[in-house]
Amino acid sequence: MEHRHLLPDEIDQLLDGEAGFGVAPLLAHVENCPKCRAELADARQVVNALERMPHFAPSPLFRDRVMTQVQVFEPWHVSALDTAKRWLPASRPARFIGVAATSVFALVVSLSAVWMAVRLDAFLFFFDLAGQRARTALFDSLGGAIATTFGSAAVDTLRTGGVAAIAGVTSFLVIVVLAAVGLRALVATARRRRAT
Amino acid sequence: MAPSLDLANLPDADVVTLAQQGREAAFRELLRRYERPVFSLIFRMVRDREISEDLAQDTFIKVLNHIDRYRPEFKLSSWLFKIANNVAIDYLRKRQLDTISIDGSPHAATAAEVEATSFDLTARQESALEEMEARELGSAIERAIARLRPEYRSCIMLRHVEGRSYEEIAATLDLPLGTVKTYIHRARHELREALEHVKGPG
Repeated sequence: MEHRHLLPDEIDQLLDGEAGFGVAPLLAHVENCPKCRAELADARQVVNALERMPHFAPSPLFRDRVMTQVQVFEPWHVSALDTAKRWLPASRPARFIGVAATSVFALVVSLSAVWMAVRLDAFLFFFDLAGQRARTALFDSLGGAIATTFGSAAVDTLRTGGVAAIAGVTSFLVIVVLAAVGLRALVATARRRRAT
Repeated sequence: MAPSLDLANLPDADVVTLAQQGREAAFRELLRRYERPVFSLIFRMVRDREISEDLAQDTFIKVLNHIDRYRPEFKLSSWLFKIANNVAIDYLRKRQLDTISIDGSPHAATAAEVEATSFDLTARQESALEEMEARELGSAIERAIARLRPEYRSCIMLRHVEGRSYEEIAATLDLPLGTVKTYIHRARHELREALEHVKGPG
């Protein structure tokens, strides 16, 4: 090391600030060799100039131009999760109360379901009774309107179809309403997400 | 409502996750973070603002439209620089092919036709460069970098402007580590020679 100047690779090691066992003799040599010291200083000057080079900015409309060609796709599960989160209370106590109320509701529904399964005959009897009363009330109030709109055949079908017909119509209407509400909520969430 | 996030303080990986969830704000945050480094890298490669913007735009469109393919074990910036370097190199290769025609149409039969169909690309580029440098760059090192080979240019800029390690540069540019070291060494050497006449004290 004492008898030769630094090799290009060794100058690079010093420029890159490498720290290791082999660097100490290089530094010692630079201390004592004016030629290598000058060469290292020259190289360091170039590196410093490079590191001071600024970033250039594209035009102000660059981001908008890019975004017009980027497909922003929101997966359904993200949208659904966000919708669910919106229903979750923000504060800890309110969240606790919400979870407790949901648990009690789930317990009641589960117990009712078990009871209905065990006492199916009684359940069917009460359900049929309730259905008859509902049907009577419905025909008393809406019989005329249904006959005018759909004809007397519709009234007869509903009257003779029993619980199954009423349950089918009701289920259909409930599903339609729920689907409309759900789709609307998903679209609203997606719009909000785009805005954030 | 989706919780509002301070995207500017999130690491790249988290912002990418949000982008993968379809949040436009996350896409814009990635653009905000990297538009300058990517544009600068391309601009210093191709030396034309308009073309650089187009190539930078291509780079971001490629990356952001395939953000679902991003693998978190790699740096997003490395992926961006890789695409940016590739589009710039592709453009330079294509331009190199195009420059064959500057000597005039191959179908020109007379000297007058050759002259009429040729154009002085060098002069046009130099004047554009000079104007650009006077306005934006204004330094000898920018001119010196412009004279480096494209592969030296991308290596030296990733090393010293973006502060990447040799290993990262090798991974980004798909080059062997030894080649990266050689390119950077040669680039530094050429820059030192080019800047010999303008070097000041210290």
